[in-house]
Amino acid sequence: MPSATVNKPRPSELLSRLTSAEPEVKVRALREVKNQIIGNRTKKLSFLKLGAVPAVAGILADSIDDVTENNNCNNTNNFLVQSAAALGSFACGFDAGVQAVLDAGAFPNLLRLLANPNEKVVDAVARALRMIYQSKLAPKYDFLQQKNMEFLISLLNSEKETVSGLGASIISRSCETNLEQKALFDAGILRKLNSLLEGGSLSLRDASLESLATVFRNNPEVISKFAGPEIGRPLSSIIDLAKDRYPRTRLLACMCLIVIRNASPHFLQDIGIKTKLIHILLELLDDPGQVGDEAPFAFSSLIAQKEDLQKLALEANAIDKFHHHIKKGSLHPRRYEGILLALADMCSKLESCRSKFLSLQVLNLVADALTDYNAGVRAAACICLKSVTRSIKNLSAGYFMNETIVIPLVQLFLDPSTSVQVAALGATSNIVVDFTTRKSIFVQCGGMKQLVQLAKSMESSVRSNALWALKNFVFQADNRLKEGVFSELTASLLSSLIRDPEPSVQEQALALVRNLVDGCINLIEFVFAEDGLILGAIGRQLQCASKAEIGIQGMYALCNVASGNEFHREAVMQLLFTQMGDKNQSFVVKFLQSNDSQLRTATVWTIVNLTCPSSPGAPCRLEKLRNAGIVSQIKNMVNDPCVDVKLRVRTVLGQSMAFGDN
Amino acid sequence: MASSKKLISREEWEKRLNNVKIRKEDMNKLVMNFLVTEGNVEAAKKFRMESGTHPDIDLATITDRMAVKKAAQCGNVKDAIEKINDLNPEILDTNPQLFFQLQQQRLIELIRNGKVEAALEFAQEELAPRAEENQSFLEELERTISLVAFEDTSNCPVGELLDISQRLKTASEVNAAVLTSQSNEKDPKLPSLLKMLIWAQNKLDKKAAYPCINDLSNARLEDPTF
Repeated sequence: MPSATVNKPRPSELLSRLTSAEPEVKVRALREVKNQIIGNRTKKLSFLKLGAVPAVAGILADSIDDVTENNNCNNTNNFLVQSAAALGSFACGFDAGVQAVLDAGAFPNLLRLLANPNEKVVDAVARALRMIYQSKLAPKYDFLQQKNMEFLISLLNSEKETVSGLGASIISRSCETNLEQKALFDAGILRKLNSLLEGGSLSLRDASLESLATVFRNNPEVISKFAGPEIGRPLSSIIDLAKDRYPRTRLLACMCLIVIRNASPHFLQDIGIKTKLIHILLELLDDPGQVGDEAPFAFSSLIAQKEDLQKLALEANAIDKFHHHIKKGSLHPRRYEGILLALADMCSKLESCRSKFLSLQVLNLVADALTDYNAGVRAAACICLKSVTRSIKNLSAGYFMNETIVIPLVQLFLDPSTSVQVAALGATSNIVVDFTTRKSIFVQCGGMKQLVQLAKSMESSVRSNALWALKNFVFQADNRLKEGVFSELTASLLSSLIRDPEPSVQEQALALVRNLVDGCINLIEFVFAEDGLILGAIGRQLQCASKAEIGIQGMYALCNVASGNEFHREAVMQLLFTQMGDKNQSFVVKFLQSNDSQLRTATVWTIVNLTCPSSPGAPCRLEKLRNAGIVSQIKNMVNDPCVDVKLRVRTVLGQSMAFGDN
Repeated sequence: MASSKKLISREEWEKRLNNVKIRKEDMNKLVMNFLVTEGNVEAAKKFRMESGTHPDIDLATITDRMAVKKAAQCGNVKDAIEKINDLNPEILDTNPQLFFQLQQQRLIELIRNGKVEAALEFAQEELAPRAEENQSFLEELERTISLVAFEDTSNCPVGELLDISQRLKTASEVNAAVLTSQSNEKDPKLPSLLKMLIWAQNKLDKKAAYPCINDLSNARLEDPTF
């Protein structure tokens, strides 16, 4: 007779029964709480809020005392098993639960109970601990202490799979540094894990794969010690598991192999294994569950920054497959994000990949993702766009400067998530380098004004990326556009950005000025606006430039100003010399002596413009430069290793000779 | 049309078959594997006694698993859930699909017994939060709830949910989940063998005419035809 009754006590009622004096009532309530929360996140949260975790942890603690006093064995074991199972369930995939269990002081008790003689108790406790160790909140395990290493080894040597699985989880969670990885290797842990790979059950194999990957990560020394002498035999068991019948095992094995590949140039480099990994990961996309969600991330880690793999993946129809999956729609956000990032990696370097992407019309789907409710998906869509818009061929054709893309992208400038904003700015920076005359679309949809607003953001990464986008936007743009940008920005904002506390912001602001004043002579007036605010800021910033890039952009800005009229050139001269104290060298000489060839080039160019023979004030300026030792410095650079520098030096010297210099 | 297929007579076929040696132990293992995976404990025990074949897994674990499966088959879903959680609390905590299916079955049983109010309350409290997180869960929940609207459930579009086959499906999913968690293969080997046979015959069909097996249940050889 099916029992389908649903009448059960209210949660608060259940909780009060947990403190009952009658063991029967207490254990039944405990079991009921456990059964209600398993699989049910909502219930976990509501019981948590009612204070269930400390109550259950209390029962666990009391039962341990009973064990030591040898009271009523069966009953005590029952309490131990049920309370451990309940705590484990609170901690399962639920960070608030993990925190509550730790705060209730249950962790040390659980550890002690691993030595309990009853199998069921040990199983329940080991599972609970493993749930805790699957969370980032787990206490850090100090492998470098001898006692701890011995305890870990005893766990891994246990016959009980729940216990050895716990050992593996501890490694996966806590092993971080190269030092710890080496300590684990020296203690023979890797050999042990490898034997678990070959002999253990499904879940133990999976746990071992994760642990091995953790110990191998970014550690070529440990990898070669492990894999080297046996001529690839240990690696072959991992390679075999990449073809296992269970999808999760295949994924974890691939991830382990990828970690090895990425850390060490000696292993797994042949084309056979590369192709195999690509195919297995692409096929794992078909898995409807978590494995399929994680597969694209593993794929990214395989191909990122590696053109040879991107090419192989292209040939394996990776882009078609990703397209096929996105087209299906209603994806889990994690999977959606993963696929978009994988596409971004595929298109990051190779034009052939971008062509394939565009020919399949994936762009429309990515544009849709810009308005997804999930922030990770939105950011990933922007990153994907950034990669694809590196295609100069298509940029030149004005392919991307259209409303389907620009409007949602500009809306993301106001996104609540900073990472989405920054990613949107990255994509915009490429798109606005539009070589057609369609930049006005960007102004029309309010994009330019938004960028200026973002240049005032509290987040420095947002400020510098907004300036980057503006810099690209005004690159070779027409005067009207540039004037529009300048009037929106204002001289005072731009000069304060040049003097921003963050070097990256300073650099972009100077580069923006460089692009603004480039070209038409009227535009140079910008730097003189409001009593020369901007020019002054440039001068002060160049005096204390913290890195070469700032000097480069600043000097090119001055160089462009000096390409104007006499007034402009005199102003630049004044700038170069006013900042000089008696003790300090002019920053000009410092720049000319820099190790950075671009900085030397930019500086010499400026001198070229200042001493241009056709300008009436040139001889005078040349005299000043000579007196400041700048001309002799330049003479020393006749054989500069950088061709650009050498040519410009010769120009300067040629110009100076036109004025009768020796 | 002349066939390029080779013809193999029954006589010749049987002669070739006789030359292939199959070990008794291997067949016994297959039988034991089938009994164990399906959960026929008593039969497995008897077979062990009579043939001396050792099962791959501890027969005691089968008893636990069978109790779970039986509870699910009888529609005692709450009982089945409690038993699984006693066996291994991780199974339902890490398998949202299975957990939802079991809760859905509970809902179906409530509706079957005419407890409409309790059913709606149950759906609201237990199933709705799950459905919020997952589009396919939401669709399943809506399907199940719609049962309440029909007076004549034998004729409605979702009537199959009330069918006993739904219970059996749930029970078999639960059985598979427990088997996997105990690190055992959830599928018996015997069906795979038979599938292999059918595949091989399909392949051979293109090249030869030979006595083939059409009825798997009696494995009788039928004479070749063109």
